[in-house]
Amino acid sequence: MNALEMPDQSDRTYLTTPPWPESLSFLKTLQNADGGWGFHAGEPSRVEPTSWAARALMDHAGEIDTNDFRKAAEYLHSAQLPDGSWPACGEMKTGSWITSLTCAALAPDPQSAQCVRLGLRWLCDDLPRDSSPFRRFLQSLRPKSEIVSQNTTYAGWGWTPNTASWVEPTAFALMALHDVPQQYLPANASQRRDVAIALLYDRMCPGGGWNCGNPRVYGVDGDALVLPTCWALLALRGSERAAQKKSTPEKPGRALSLAWLQKEFAKIESAASLAVARMTLENYGIQPPPAERDLRDWTALELAEQGTHVLAWACMAVNSARRWPLVAAKSAEGGVQ
Amino acid sequence: MNQRKRELIPSFSRPASRVMIRKVARYEEDLLAAIYESIREFQLPVKGKTILLKPNLVGLDPQGVMNTHPAVIAATRESFLKLGATRVMIGDGPAMDRDTQAILESVRLKEFTGRLGKDFCDLNIDDVERVPLETRATRLKELFLPKTVLGVDFLVSMPKLKTHHWAGVTLSLKNMFGIVPGSCYGWPKNVLHWAGIDRSILDINAAARPDFAIVDGIMGMDGNGPIQGSPRAAGVLLFGDDPVAVDSTACRVMGLLPEKVDYLGRAGTMLGHLEVSKIQQLGEGIEAVRTPFAVLPEFARLVA
Repeated sequence: MNALEMPDQSDRTYLTTPPWPESLSFLKTLQNADGGWGFHAGEPSRVEPTSWAARALMDHAGEIDTNDFRKAAEYLHSAQLPDGSWPACGEMKTGSWITSLTCAALAPDPQSAQCVRLGLRWLCDDLPRDSSPFRRFLQSLRPKSEIVSQNTTYAGWGWTPNTASWVEPTAFALMALHDVPQQYLPANASQRRDVAIALLYDRMCPGGGWNCGNPRVYGVDGDALVLPTCWALLALRGSERAAQKKSTPEKPGRALSLAWLQKEFAKIESAASLAVARMTLENYGIQPPPAERDLRDWTALELAEQGTHVLAWACMAVNSARRWPLVAAKSAEGGVQ
Repeated sequence: MNQRKRELIPSFSRPASRVMIRKVARYEEDLLAAIYESIREFQLPVKGKTILLKPNLVGLDPQGVMNTHPAVIAATRESFLKLGATRVMIGDGPAMDRDTQAILESVRLKEFTGRLGKDFCDLNIDDVERVPLETRATRLKELFLPKTVLGVDFLVSMPKLKTHHWAGVTLSLKNMFGIVPGSCYGWPKNVLHWAGIDRSILDINAAARPDFAIVDGIMGMDGNGPIQGSPRAAGVLLFGDDPVAVDSTACRVMGLLPEKVDYLGRAGTMLGHLEVSKIQQLGEGIEAVRTPFAVLPEFARLVA
């Protein structure tokens, strides 16, 4: 049952900077005996909240060697499917987008190397169905004006196998390909990455930013949303760094989207978006502008009620020494470095 | 655990369904009185029960056009508590944006309901249970559905009166897409689109059929719904004990032919009543409130 088993906390543990470790301690109290986390206290462990919690733990210097992290890693190892992917919930027999997230979460752990390699192999072999030649042929038979206008030759990643490419799973896959030790990557990773970057730009909203992946429907421009925009920007930041080494020019869409996020930041009212937007701007060396809300408006308990992932994001956001996403040095122009 | 599992009853052996139409011009009216009196007439078995209200919270909506209005949600919650329900939860799993809290803030739900705490359930990240799909309208053999939805005594679908650019209309049956958890299937829940939207609606509603439906048609949306359409004031609330009958009545209010809506036509054979003759009409007559809704050219066939 959702959040029904939440421990009763009469004292309100606020996120502060410092001492943010109290919130991390609260996150640790939510860890299940099997080493994983549910989306809410008392719920069975799931791969996604466990991966986020593991990342938050890892941000704390030395946490990778602690018993908490080791237990989390062991839970994630045990949840991996034989084909190398990770499922969204325990009984599922097929992998999902979470494979990207988990590969990235486990990448710094040498004991997880084999699991990560297997996960990456599955990831790079997982092609969405909408970009298959047969689907593209069917698409070519449909009226041009129909529904959406996007380039279906670009193959990114879907939320679930054999469906369509979407912005967020594509961004998480790109981040995984960038964040892991490069010797872990299968041979086709570079090609998949280049096409996925093209897909993200193709799916960008006309005014900058991203939504789930529909920039225009029935001739109407889609509105960008904070979380997909942040994940796409973080993915492009890492991936295009690698691409720049190959002398690929930076695309203007990234700056436009960053400007959209800076403008939107002041209006954000939710802890999840606030935390992730803050990390994104700081990753680009930009001081987040003043906002209507502050992460300190919520107690750790209130954040946990919104989901373990939200508490983990908040813990990461208030930690300026986090390993991911890194806080970049402030640029002189306050813009993209 | 799955208390929602019900035996599928062919429509020909179901008793007549009841649908009530109530004129309500504005959200500032006494909604509690209107909704309480309407629900009470149905004499629902809700005393001592746990109820889940499933509104349509589809996106950031400061103008109150695309989501079920929070005033309607709050008044419905209050009404069921007055009728003796032990607990009335509210839950949804928005399809396009995983930041449910941002959507709740944008509609100012808390200002109408007070702090909900554990009485709000983000169905996208609820604990899940595997549910075999016995109807097999799609090729999906199973869905993982939220335990909260499966475990409550009484489930109320509370859609907005809207047209939909892929399904024709989105009402109490289509609203149940929101119980499918994003944490398992993503944002959007794309696996359902690949399985076929119309057929997925049947599978989901057969697996977790709402016991009651309340449609917020005070302000609806027509054209390119469910997000980018135009506001359309219809000035009605619809209530009913059969989601198919409620949706077909809502279509008639919108000037549309329910039997031409693919999933509704099929639902009329297995989930409830579509025909006017099988629906006991309470409150206002359809003609008195009919408000033609514009549809995209692809759905011109739906117009009565």
